[in-house]
Amino acid sequence: MNYVMNVFNWLIAAGPTVLLPVIITIIGLIFGLNIGRGFKSGLTLGIGFAGIKLILDFMTTNVGPAAKAMVERTGVHLNALDVGWGSIAAITWASPIIALLIFAILLVNIVLLILKRTNTLDVDIWNYHHVAIVGVMVFFVTKNIGLGVGASVVMALITFKLADWSQPMVENFFHIPGVSLPTVSALSSLVIAWPLNWLLDRIPFFRKAKFSIRDAQKYLGFFGDSMIMGLIIGMVIGALAGYNLMQVLQLGVSMAAVLVLIPKMTALFMEGLMPISEAAQKWSQKRFKGRKLFIGLDAAVVVGNQDVITTALIIIPLTIAMALVLPGNSVLPFADLAVVPFRVAMVVALTNGNLLKNIIIGLAVTASLLWCGTTTAPVLTAIAKSVGIKLGTNSLFISSFAATSMIQSFAVYFAFTTNQLILIPILLLVFAVVWYYFDGIKHVNASVNAQTTEA
Amino acid sequence: MIRILVACGNGIATSTVVASKIKGFLVSKGVQAETTQTKLMEVPGKIQDYDLLVTTGEFSGQTKGVPYVKGMPLLTGIGAEQTLNEIYDITQKK
Repeated sequence: MNYVMNVFNWLIAAGPTVLLPVIITIIGLIFGLNIGRGFKSGLTLGIGFAGIKLILDFMTTNVGPAAKAMVERTGVHLNALDVGWGSIAAITWASPIIALLIFAILLVNIVLLILKRTNTLDVDIWNYHHVAIVGVMVFFVTKNIGLGVGASVVMALITFKLADWSQPMVENFFHIPGVSLPTVSALSSLVIAWPLNWLLDRIPFFRKAKFSIRDAQKYLGFFGDSMIMGLIIGMVIGALAGYNLMQVLQLGVSMAAVLVLIPKMTALFMEGLMPISEAAQKWSQKRFKGRKLFIGLDAAVVVGNQDVITTALIIIPLTIAMALVLPGNSVLPFADLAVVPFRVAMVVALTNGNLLKNIIIGLAVTASLLWCGTTTAPVLTAIAKSVGIKLGTNSLFISSFAATSMIQSFAVYFAFTTNQLILIPILLLVFAVVWYYFDGIKHVNASVNAQTTEA
Repeated sequence: MIRILVACGNGIATSTVVASKIKGFLVSKGVQAETTQTKLMEVPGKIQDYDLLVTTGEFSGQTKGVPYVKGMPLLTGIGAEQTLNEIYDITQKK
């Protein structure tokens, strides 16, 4: 055992670029991939991590001094740079306990399916990173593997149930039958949207609002273009930092480069994990043959909806404005402005495309992202440093609109790191009550369950 | 060389799956193809340089006359073969 621990510690000391190929090869072997395929998957992830690391170093050395100068000159206190969900996913996969968390999450799904407590089959291993990061962060803070795994298990439970409960929206509003979206980055907004929408519906003015904006994409489209957004934000930060024209232009192009390059690096993670997800899919489809299940897909499949894009294009500039004026916020929105559509997608479906309600709920969600992101930025920064990402010598933090910036993840993280004996039971109790409301009183998935019993 | 633009919500997750399935299929059919992944929001600005657009979800924007195939079946596996054949037919018309 000691020998195993020594090897493991040696691998951790070698860093994620070495650890990832080894861990992923092992996970691949367990899923029945041959060693060659598993190793290539692992190596692809290792390369992806090396790429993300390069970009993050590049980003922080460029924007770090500028952000610092901006804070000193203007008093705009935004020192937690939003490095984007892709970087956070990379950090998540680089955690020494990632293999444990992945199997725990998969196990939760399989057990729930066997007990017929969920209809969502989610074997998209890639998307587990949203659920796993909470475990990674809890483990990092508490140094307790049990708490870390427990946090990811609770995250998984909540995620699969939210996916079940929101499936009728996916079917009725987005017209995709038989599919649910166990993607935390989209589902988490519902935690705020459900109660807020109920409240707004009590007011006839909001319920009946027929407010719409025509040609939003035509006039606001550039807010959805990463290249242009990176350039503009980079130049504005440079200008606020008191840079001269040459430096302003340099920073603008550098930041545009970051926004275009991060997704390319992140795609390597997806590519590497694909064979493993496919193996898991084959295995589970054989196991649950003949049963009517929702196939869990990435929420990427619904964000092309016109109402979602319109809402997102309005929310993106408002997010930047809010970051400047929201008391207590220190998150500087940047890379995750590109994924605002995910944060508003389920809101749009919930309100049935009521634009006024979408904007109000969308802004409430944005405020929660900024606050929770500010609160957990120091921990995230410490974890990033622990896996070898250099963030320069300045006092810059990193944050994002993913990980524990999302209200669902934040709630679980908070309960598992502060006063666990009181807060974890409260969290579970609230979740149980909500579960009873949706499955016991409202029977949201009644039609599917009926079909299953007949079969 | 056929240029295919594959778009999804973030240009990373589902588009990687769809792009690699299309590429694998076309290679087995002996068709030279190149796939580029992008975000749905960036489709209108890029579409004119491609021969075919495949998206993983709902897309109601302008394609400027470029043929468009829905790639959802390649994710769920239901009707995947039909979708791949549809893509193959389009590549043959070029």
